[in-house]
Amino acid sequence: MANLKDIQRQIKSVTNTQKTTRAMKLVSTAKLRRAEELAKRSRLYAAKMNQVIAEIAGRIKCNRIGGIENRCFTEIENPKIVDIVFVTADKGLCGGFNIQTIKAVKKLIAEYKEKNVKVRLRGIGKKGIEFFKYNEVELFDEVANLSSKPDKVRSDEFIMSSIEDYKDGKIDGLRIVYNGYKNMITQELHISNILPVDTTDFECDEIRDSMLEVEAQDEEHMLDSLVNRYVKYAMYYALIDSVAAEHSSRMQAMDTATNNAKDMVKSLNVKYNKARQAAITTELIEIISGVESMK
Amino acid sequence: MDKLKLEILTPNGEIFNDVVVSVTLPGEEGEFGVLPHHASLTTLLEAGVIDIEKDDKTVESILINWGVVQVDETKVIVLVEGAVAIRGDSESAVANALEDAKQLINDIADSNPAIASATARIESAARRLL
Repeated sequence: MANLKDIQRQIKSVTNTQKTTRAMKLVSTAKLRRAEELAKRSRLYAAKMNQVIAEIAGRIKCNRIGGIENRCFTEIENPKIVDIVFVTADKGLCGGFNIQTIKAVKKLIAEYKEKNVKVRLRGIGKKGIEFFKYNEVELFDEVANLSSKPDKVRSDEFIMSSIEDYKDGKIDGLRIVYNGYKNMITQELHISNILPVDTTDFECDEIRDSMLEVEAQDEEHMLDSLVNRYVKYAMYYALIDSVAAEHSSRMQAMDTATNNAKDMVKSLNVKYNKARQAAITTELIEIISGVESMK
Repeated sequence: MDKLKLEILTPNGEIFNDVVVSVTLPGEEGEFGVLPHHASLTTLLEAGVIDIEKDDKTVESILINWGVVQVDETKVIVLVEGAVAIRGDSESAVANALEDAKQLINDIADSNPAIASATARIESAARRLL
């Protein structure tokens, strides 16, 4: 009989877990809708911004704008120190969302190590920070509670120090790694080259000469200010994209968990019924054999 | 007559995307107008008002706090950080837009003389609509 009680208790506990996961899924769905909306609205702006920057970078590379020397736009040979900024969630229970980012960062670090490039790791999000701390990887900088609630001011502040270090020549590159939102069920890992501006895809032949004339006198100032905005926005966009991805990932994970719990309850129910029937049969046999022996 | 395609994008989405007759932009070096077949250029915009002359000859004003513009012969793409369009169908909507615009002006941290004139101009733009 104790067996019956055990199974009953198990069913109850699994049902409770199922309730929790279902609630978490609903919460994530609601949050996802908001985050998705925000990310969607910004996507166009981010894309155009990248386009404008890439075009300027391409022109500088192909020498269409005479004599501009700007560190942000020129490829640096033999980089020595590179900043890697990664964005993970502050909370777990979202499937492979965090671990994917962490793996990508680890791979990137290994790649740089091979090339003898020093890496300064700057982390956003508790999960990633905890992971690297546990594995005794040195973090140069860390920020918690930013990835769950993206805030333009804080994100600007955070990334500004990298921009300044880059301009001062303290670092030779800036990369952002984050898991972005693709659609309701898929996330997409982004490893973006932020600084120097990526010009590898740019073909010099494709530019029409007439297309760009930067105001001549303060192109330095203009490019500086443009780069600041560009990097800051890239950072902020990474954050809001990552939040949307986090919620979609959690929604999925919780959906799977709910389904698993459902299956478990089902099989436990079968087990319970079998045990109950066995108990009844035993009881009956006991009664019948008792009656038989009285005869 | 030739037309110009104008796109104004903010981090919160597109606020203007249409064919226009001309557009006046608050460049860092001073205000400049763009007509179709304008020479290509890329430059920064400072806080100010973008005046758009639309197909039907009406003028729409959009307040911005910072931006970058890419002009070529057929289209103008403006990327701005914060923008408020002074428009609306009813009196209250226009008043709301004006309120938002004033809020944006207050938010622009480094105040400069351009802002004072921008305030005056959006108010007159709103009056035209009322």
